[in-house]
Amino acid sequence: MDFPHSLRPALFMTGPLGLSDIPDLSFMCSWQHALTLPETQPQNSENGALHVTKDLLWEPATPGPLPMLPSLIGESLIPPGSFHTAPPILPAAPTPETFLSLLSLCSLRALGCLQSPRASGCTPVPSPALSVTSSSDPWDPGLTARDLLFRGGYRYRRRPRVVLDVTEQISRFLWDHGDVAFAPLGKLMLENFKLEGAGSRTKKTTVVSVKKLLQDLGGHQPWGCPWAYLSNRQRRFSILGGPILGTSVASHLAELLHEELVLRWEQLLLDEACTGGALAWVPGRTPQFGQLVYPAGGALDRLHFQEVVLSPGDSPQFLGNPGRIQLQGPVRQVVTCTVQGETLLAVRSDYHCAVWKFGKQWQPSLLQAMQVEKGATGISLSPHLPGELAICSRSGAVCLWSPEDGLQQVYKDPETLVFRDSSSWRWADFTAHPRVLTVGDRTGVKMVDTQGPPGCGLLLFRVGAEASCQKGERVLLTQYLGHSSSECLPPTLHLVCTQFSLYLVDERLPLVPMLKWNHGLPSPLLLARLLPPPRPGCVQPLLLGGQGGQLQLLHLAGEGASVPRLAGPPQSLPSRTDSLPAFPLLEPKIQWRLQERLKAPTIGLAAVVPPLPSAPTPGLVLFQLSAAGDVFYQQLRPQADSDHRRDSGPRSDTESDCRAPTASWTSQDTAGCSQWLKALLKVPLAPPVWTAPTFTHRQLLGSIELRREEEEGQRLDVLRKAMAQGRLLLQRDLGSLPAAEPPPAPESGPEDKLSERLGEAWAGRGAAWWERQQGRTSGPGRQPRRPKRRTQLSSTFSLSGHMDPSEDTSPPHSPEWPPADALPQPPMTPPSQELTPDACAQGVPAERRQMLHDYMAKLPPQRGTPGCATTPPSSQASSVWTTRSQQHTPILSGSQRPRKKPRMGF
Amino acid sequence: MLMGGRSSNFKPFVIGMSDFSEELKGPVTDDEVETSVLTGAGMHFPWLQTYVETVAIGGKRKKDFAQTTSACLSFVQEALLKHQWQQAAEYMYSYFQTLEDSDSYKRQAAPEIIWKLGSEILFYHPKSNVETFNTFADRMKNIGVMNYLKISLQHALYLLHHGMLEDAKRNLSEAETWRHGENTSSRGILINLIQAYKGLLQYYTWSKKKMELSKLDKDDYAYNAVAQDVFNHSWKTSANISALIKIPGVWDPFVKSYVEMLEFYGDRDGAQEVLTNYAYDEKFPSNPNAHIYLYNFLKRQKAPRSKMISVLKILYQIVPSHKLMLEFHTLLRKSEKEEHHKLGLEVLFGVLDFAGCTKNITAWKYLAKYLKKTLMGNHLAWVQDEWNSRKNWWPSFHFSYFWAKSDWKEDTALACEKAFVAGLLLGKGCRYFRYILKQDHQILGKKIKRMKRSVKKYSIVNPRLSY
Repeated sequence: MDFPHSLRPALFMTGPLGLSDIPDLSFMCSWQHALTLPETQPQNSENGALHVTKDLLWEPATPGPLPMLPSLIGESLIPPGSFHTAPPILPAAPTPETFLSLLSLCSLRALGCLQSPRASGCTPVPSPALSVTSSSDPWDPGLTARDLLFRGGYRYRRRPRVVLDVTEQISRFLWDHGDVAFAPLGKLMLENFKLEGAGSRTKKTTVVSVKKLLQDLGGHQPWGCPWAYLSNRQRRFSILGGPILGTSVASHLAELLHEELVLRWEQLLLDEACTGGALAWVPGRTPQFGQLVYPAGGALDRLHFQEVVLSPGDSPQFLGNPGRIQLQGPVRQVVTCTVQGETLLAVRSDYHCAVWKFGKQWQPSLLQAMQVEKGATGISLSPHLPGELAICSRSGAVCLWSPEDGLQQVYKDPETLVFRDSSSWRWADFTAHPRVLTVGDRTGVKMVDTQGPPGCGLLLFRVGAEASCQKGERVLLTQYLGHSSSECLPPTLHLVCTQFSLYLVDERLPLVPMLKWNHGLPSPLLLARLLPPPRPGCVQPLLLGGQGGQLQLLHLAGEGASVPRLAGPPQSLPSRTDSLPAFPLLEPKIQWRLQERLKAPTIGLAAVVPPLPSAPTPGLVLFQLSAAGDVFYQQLRPQADSDHRRDSGPRSDTESDCRAPTASWTSQDTAGCSQWLKALLKVPLAPPVWTAPTFTHRQLLGSIELRREEEEGQRLDVLRKAMAQGRLLLQRDLGSLPAAEPPPAPESGPEDKLSERLGEAWAGRGAAWWERQQGRTSGPGRQPRRPKRRTQLSSTFSLSGHMDPSEDTSPPHSPEWPPADALPQPPMTPPSQELTPDACAQGVPAERRQMLHDYMAKLPPQRGTPGCATTPPSSQASSVWTTRSQQHTPILSGSQRPRKKPRMGF
Repeated sequence: MLMGGRSSNFKPFVIGMSDFSEELKGPVTDDEVETSVLTGAGMHFPWLQTYVETVAIGGKRKKDFAQTTSACLSFVQEALLKHQWQQAAEYMYSYFQTLEDSDSYKRQAAPEIIWKLGSEILFYHPKSNVETFNTFADRMKNIGVMNYLKISLQHALYLLHHGMLEDAKRNLSEAETWRHGENTSSRGILINLIQAYKGLLQYYTWSKKKMELSKLDKDDYAYNAVAQDVFNHSWKTSANISALIKIPGVWDPFVKSYVEMLEFYGDRDGAQEVLTNYAYDEKFPSNPNAHIYLYNFLKRQKAPRSKMISVLKILYQIVPSHKLMLEFHTLLRKSEKEEHHKLGLEVLFGVLDFAGCTKNITAWKYLAKYLKKTLMGNHLAWVQDEWNSRKNWWPSFHFSYFWAKSDWKEDTALACEKAFVAGLLLGKGCRYFRYILKQDHQILGKKIKRMKRSVKKYSIVNPRLSY
C-alpha cells in the first residue's frame, strides 16, 4: 500500500484536551481541505485549482424522504420464499475465562426464532393495511427535557442552570404509585406491630384496628384516588405515625427517584443504545434486489426483512410483506457484511447478540446467539474473514467471536483509555489487519493485536491536544472505513466522531488526524455510512446521521498517494420533518401526532448506490429508520452540471443562482403519504395504562337533560361521544345550533362616540348626549350584562367537565394529547350543582373541615380548583367529588395526573 | 473555543462599535461546572442549550438582538449546507450586525465565525473572484485583531492555491512583521508557520529558477545572473524553514523542500541531520514519511546497505504494509547475515497480512520464491515460526475456495503464485491448490506441473518428504 507522499502540515502537541494555548492549525473550514500545495513544480498549481474544486451536489428527487409502502403489485415478481427456522448450530464450548456465556440450544428462546408469516402455510398477504402495521404502532416520544427539568427561577444567571425537578416528580409518584410507595412499609410494620391498647383510655379516639389499617396501607387504592378511603382510622393513624413514616419513606424514595431521574436525564442527553444504527441493507442476487433489515414493532423487538427492488430513475419498490423474526428484546444495532460471497447479519440487543447467515435462497438462518451479562454496547462484523465478529460489553471487555471457534477475549479494561470517564460505553471494530482490532471508548481509540500479549496496544486516537480537541469533547462513534473495498481510499482509514468534529485517522500514523472537520450537527452523531463511489471518479460519499434526524453528505477523496480530504463542500439532506407538506391537511390533533412521529429520533441509516448498468446517471437511495419504527427512503441524483460549475467561469444569474431545490411532490408521493397516514391512524392508540374514572354523570345529568329539549339532548350525546373518542367536535355534529346569544357587542370606539355625538349635536341634543354619556360610564348602567354571560359560559364549561374528566386527567405520556400544560384546565365541578352537603360531610369529620378548608385555600389556584377555594367550608368539594365517584370507577392503576398538591398525611 | 491565546488583556477593536467600555471577559465557567456535575464526567453537550431553552427556566433571557443574530447565523449555515451561495451571502450581509453585539464574549467570537463562513461563501460563490476574496480577507484581518495571523495565513494559502505566488508571499511577509500585544507561545508557533510557508514559496521560486538554470548553457550570458538568484534564495529559505521543523509536528512539505535545497548545495550532513531529527525525535509523531524521506536520501547518497536496512527496519515496525517493504525484502535477501534472511521472510508474511495487499502479485511472487528457497535451505523452523500465528486465519483469509475461483478468473498469474504458497504451507490437499491444479490452462500447464512437484517435495505439512 502506498502512503501519502506528503502529509498536510500539522502541529503535534501532547497533553490534555482544551489547551487554549495551541493554535488550531486544522482550520476546520471545508474549503481549506480543497486547497492544495503545489508539488515540486510550481507550474502545477494553476492546474491544481481546476480539478480540485468540484462542486459536488446531490439533488434529492423529492423535497423530503417518503415513507416505505409495501406494494402488492410486486408480489408476483418474487417467488414466495419462506424463512426457515434453521436448527441453530450448537454453540462451541464456552471458554470459562470470558465474561460472556454462550447460550445453549434451549436458551435460544431469548432470541427465539419464530416462523415468518409467509412460512406458515404461504398464506397470501391479507391486506395492504395490515402490512403496514409495523409503521403504525403507537409512538411514545418518551420523557422530554420539559418533564425532567425544574421550571423555577434562577434569574441573574448568565446561562440557565440545569436542575432536575425531583419535588414535582416525587409528588407525582406518590399520587400515582401510592401502593408502591407505602405498601412495603405497611407490610413491614404489620409484622412488628403490637396490638395492645391501654384499656383506660377511650377506645374511640386512640385505638384503631391496626391490622386492618396496615392492610389498607398496603395500599391498593382501589378507586384511584388517594382520598377515596380517607377514613377515621387512617387519619388517626396518620397523626400517630406521621413523623416516622413521612420522613423515611420520602427520603428513601427521593433518593431512588433522584437516581432514576439522573439516569433518564443522561439518557435524554445522549442515548447511546442505538450507536451504529439498526438498519442494514443486504444486497441480493442481482444488483436490483436487496433486503432491508430493521427492527419493528412498538418495542423494536421484531426483526423485519423487507425485500426491495431498485429500478433506475424510479423510486424503490417494496415487495410484499416483510419476513419477520420475533426476538425477545429490543434490537439496537443491525450490521451486515458480505465477505467472500457470504452475507452475514449481526444483531445486538441490550443483553444479547446473534448472527444470521443468508443462505442460497436468500433466507436468514441463525448461526449463533449469545448472552452478554453486563450489556453489549457494540457489535461489528469482520470485513476480512467470513463469520468473525467483534463484540464489546459494558464491563470493558472486547471479544473476537466466531461461530466456529467460539469466543476469544481480546481486551479487558474496566477503566477508560486516556483519562477517567464515567461512561461505560465501549466500541470495537476491525482494522486493515484481520488480527488487529480497534477498541474505543469516550476518551480514545486503541489498536489491539489479538495475538499479542493482552493489554498492550497503540493509541490510534486520543481525546486531547494531539487532535486539538475542545474541552468536554468525547468520542461518540468510531468506524473502520475499509469495508467498501474500493480503490478510492486506502483501507487503513478510521472515522472518529465527537459532538463537535469528525476525524479521519490513518492507522499507519496514529494520533495525528489526517482530516478534521467541524460537522456542527445539533444532535449526537451516532450514524455514519461510507458508500462506494457512484462512478469511477474516485470520490466516496460519506453519510452522517444525527439522532435528531439531520443528515449530512460529505465527499472523501484520497486516491493513491494523496492525503484524504474533503472534496467539495458538505451538503445537508432533507430530514423526515421536511416531508410534512406532502401529507394532507389534518386536524390539529392528528397533525400534532404526525409531527411527533416524524420527529422521532433516527436510529438507523442505510444507503445504496445501485450499480445499475442501465441507469444513465448514478443514483443513491437512502433509507432511514426512526425510533417509531418507520422506514423512510429518499432518492438522490448528482446534479448534472456539478463538474463544470467553477471551471466554466461566471455565468448568467439565472443559471448560477437557481440553486433552490427544484424537486417537488408528485401526486404519487402525496398519495403514498396519505396511504401511510391512513394506516397510521387506523390503529387506535393503545389505551393508556391508566384508565380514567367514569363518573356518574348519567345520574347527574339525567334530571338536567329531561328538562331540556330533545335537540339539546342529542347535542349532548354527540358531545359526550366526541369526548369519549377524543376527537374534534365539528360543527356538523351538533346539527343546527340554537340561536345562540349574540357575541358581546364591540365596545364602541372613540370614532363611534364621536359620530354619535356629532349626530346628536347636529340634531341639537348635544348637551343631553353628554349628560347621558357621563352617566353611562360612571354609573352601573352597563354592568349587569357581562356577568350574566360569564355565568352561563362557566356553567357550560363545568357541564362538559363532568362528563369527561379524563380530558384533564389524561396521563402526560399519552402521545395523543398535547402537553398537559397546553390543555385548558376545565374548572372543577362547582359542588353545589351535583352534590348534596350530606355527601360531603361523610368523608371529612367536622373537626378537620376547617383545617382542610384552610389548606385548600392555600393551594395555588392553577393547580387546585378555583371552585374549591370559594366553596363554603362545609362542602369540601374535591373529596366529596371523588367519594361519589368511587362507586362507579373501575380499578385504577398506573399514573394519574394529580389535581391537587399531595397531602401525605399518613 | 477556537480562539487561541489569552484574551483578557485585549480590548476589542471593532469597527462601528458604540461601546468600548466593556472589558472582554472569558466565557463564564461557573455554570458549565454545575451542568457537568449533573451530567457527569464533564462531557459537553452542544444540544443541551436547546433542551434547556424549551423548558424556559429563568436564566438571562436572550435579547431580541441575540435571538435575531443567532437565527441569522443558522440561516447562513443552512444555506451553506444546501450550497445556496447567493442566499448565504445575503444572510451573511445581515449577520455582520453581530459585530455590534453588546455581549462582549459574542462580539469577540464573531470575527472568527464571520471569517469562516464568509470565506467559505466566497470560495464557492460562482460570482466571486480573487479580488473580492482579497478585499474580504483584508477587512477581516483588522476586525478583531486576534485573528490577524490566522487569516493572513489562510489568505496566503488561498492565493497559493490560485497560483498567485507573489501575492501570497507579500501577504506572508506582512504577517511576519505584524506585532500586537503580548507575545504568546501560540503566536510564536503561528509566526514560525508563516515564515515556513514563506520559505516554501521561496523554494518554489528557487526550483523554478533551478529548472531554468538546468536548461541554460553554462556559457549563456544569463547563466550567472540566474545562478546568483538561486543562491540567494537558498539562504533565505533555510532560515525560514529550519525554525519550524524543530517544533514537534508533521512538516512533510517543508522538510522535503529544505532537504532538497541542502542537498543541492552539497550540505549532505546538514540534510541528514535534519532528516534524522525528523525521523527519530521522540517528541515527533511516528510519521512514516520521515523514515521514507531518510531512506530515500540514503539511497540517493548510495549509503551502505546496513544503514538502509536499519532505517527500513523501523519503518517495518511502523508500517509493515508499506510498498517499500518489498524493497526491504530484497535488501535483506541480499544481505549476508542469516538473521536478515529470516527477517526477509517475516517481512513478506507481514505485508500479506494486510487487507490492502492481498492482491499484490509481486509480494506473492517473492513469497513463493523465498519460501521455496528457505525450505530448500533447511530453514523449516523459520517458516513454522511465521506460520504458527497465521495458520488459523490465513487459510480462510487467503486460500478459501471463493478466492481460488475469483483469483483464477481475475488474474491467473496471481492465482498460480498463491496456489504455490498455499500448497507449500497447507499441503497438496489444500482447496486453493487443488482448484488451481484442476484448471486446464495451456500456457501455465507446465508451470503448474512444476509447482505440483515442488509442493510434493517441500510442503511443510509433511516435512519428512522434504528431507
